[in-house]
Amino acid sequence: MTGADAVGAAAPGFSVAGVRLLGVVSALPRRRLENEAFVERLGAEAVADVVKMIGVESRYWVEDGQTASDLCFAAAQRLLAALDWDPASIDALIFVSQTFDQRLPATACVLHGRLGLASHCQAFDVGLGCSGYVYGLWLAASLIAAGCRRVLVLAGDTISRVVDPSDRATALLFGDAGSATAVEHAAEAPPAYFVLGTDGAGAANLIIPGGGFRQASHDPRRPAGMDPEHLFMDGGEVFAFTLRAVPKLVQDTLKRAGRSADQVDSFVLHQANQFMLRHLAKKIGAPERVPINIDRFGNTSSASIPLVLTNDLAARLVAEPVRLMLVGFGVGYSWGAALFDADPLGCAETVSA
Amino acid sequence: MSAFYEGLAEIFEIEPAAVGPSLVLADHNWDSLAVVSTLALVDECFNCLVEGAALARCERVSDIEALIAAA
Repeated sequence: MTGADAVGAAAPGFSVAGVRLLGVVSALPRRRLENEAFVERLGAEAVADVVKMIGVESRYWVEDGQTASDLCFAAAQRLLAALDWDPASIDALIFVSQTFDQRLPATACVLHGRLGLASHCQAFDVGLGCSGYVYGLWLAASLIAAGCRRVLVLAGDTISRVVDPSDRATALLFGDAGSATAVEHAAEAPPAYFVLGTDGAGAANLIIPGGGFRQASHDPRRPAGMDPEHLFMDGGEVFAFTLRAVPKLVQDTLKRAGRSADQVDSFVLHQANQFMLRHLAKKIGAPERVPINIDRFGNTSSASIPLVLTNDLAARLVAEPVRLMLVGFGVGYSWGAALFDADPLGCAETVSA
Repeated sequence: MSAFYEGLAEIFEIEPAAVGPSLVLADHNWDSLAVVSTLALVDECFNCLVEGAALARCERVSDIEALIAAA
C-alpha cells in the first residue's frame, strides 16, 4: 500500500508498506591508492589542502577494463548465494549508475544476462549518482507495491574513469565501488518512508558535458583545456546546495514518518566530503549516529550508502533490528531519503572484485 | 571574541586577535576551500545560509558580516 497515512499525511513524501530489506553486498576493486600517489602530479601542498577538507586518505580504483557493472555483478553473485535466492525468482533488476558499460543497451540488460535471470524479469537503468541508491530503493519498493516479489538494486560507479587527474577539486575525492541490495515483499513489514526531490537549476555545477548527444557549451568556470568528457564540479556551489537541502530533507523524512531524530538508530549519509558530513551531522543533531567512512573509500557516488551499510554497520545489521535513515544528495541536483525499520539482514558484507 | 571570528582565524590560520571587520580576505588565501569553510561557519554560528558566489566576492570581513545581516 502506498500513499498518505494518518501520522504524516501533511508532510511531503510517501510511505510504502510490505517491503523488506534482505541483504546488501558491496564490491571494491583490488587496487588501493593512498594520497601519496597524487603528490607528484598535484604537489604536496595542494594534496594536503584538499585532504584537510575532503578527509580521504585512501580509495579503491578499478583497473582499465573493469567497469561498475563488473563490481555490481560480483556483489550480486555473492548476495544471491548468501541469501540462497534462485535467479529465476527475481522479478526486477535496477542498475543505478552514471558510469554504464555502453551507451546502449541499458547495462541492466547486460547484467540480467550475466546473472542468468528469468525472461519475466524487468531490467532497466537509472542514471543518478549521489542520490541514486535511495532512488533505487524507492523504485524497488514501488515495484513491490505494484506486485513484484523480489527486486535486485545494483548501484555502483567508477568515477575514477572520468576525473581529470590534474583537477585538484576532483582527482583525490572519488573512489570506485559497486553494490547489490535485495528487496523483497513481506506482508508484515512496517511502512518504509521516502522523500525525494530535484533542483535542475544546479545541473551545470556537477557535470560531464561531453559523451551525450548535446554539443557541450562552454562554461567559463571549467579549467581551460579540460576534456568535455571529464567531470567538472563547482565545489562551493555543491556544498551550498547541500547545506540548504540535506538538513531539510532529514527533517521532512522524520516528519513524514512521525518520528524524532532519537527514533533513528543510524543516519547513513552519502559520503560526499568529510568536512561536509561533519557539518551535516552536527545540524542533524546526532553526530555519533552519522557513520563516516570517506577516509577509507573516498566518495563512491551511488555506492557510498551501501558501502557504509556493509562496512561500518554490517555487524549490527545482521544481529539486530536497526532503524535506518538513508540520505542521498548531489549531482542533478537530486536528493532522496528513505527510512527503513530493518529486520536483521541475511547478509551485509564487502567483497573484492 | 566571537565564535565567528575564532572560526575565521582557524580557517585563515592566523591569531584570533588579528580578525576584525577590516581584515582583507585576499591577504589570507581566500580560495574556494576558504569560501566553503566560511559557508559552513556562517551556518553554524548564525544558522543562516549565504550564497556561495556572493561570499566569494567579499573583500573584507565586514562584507561577510553585511551578507549575514542581509540574509
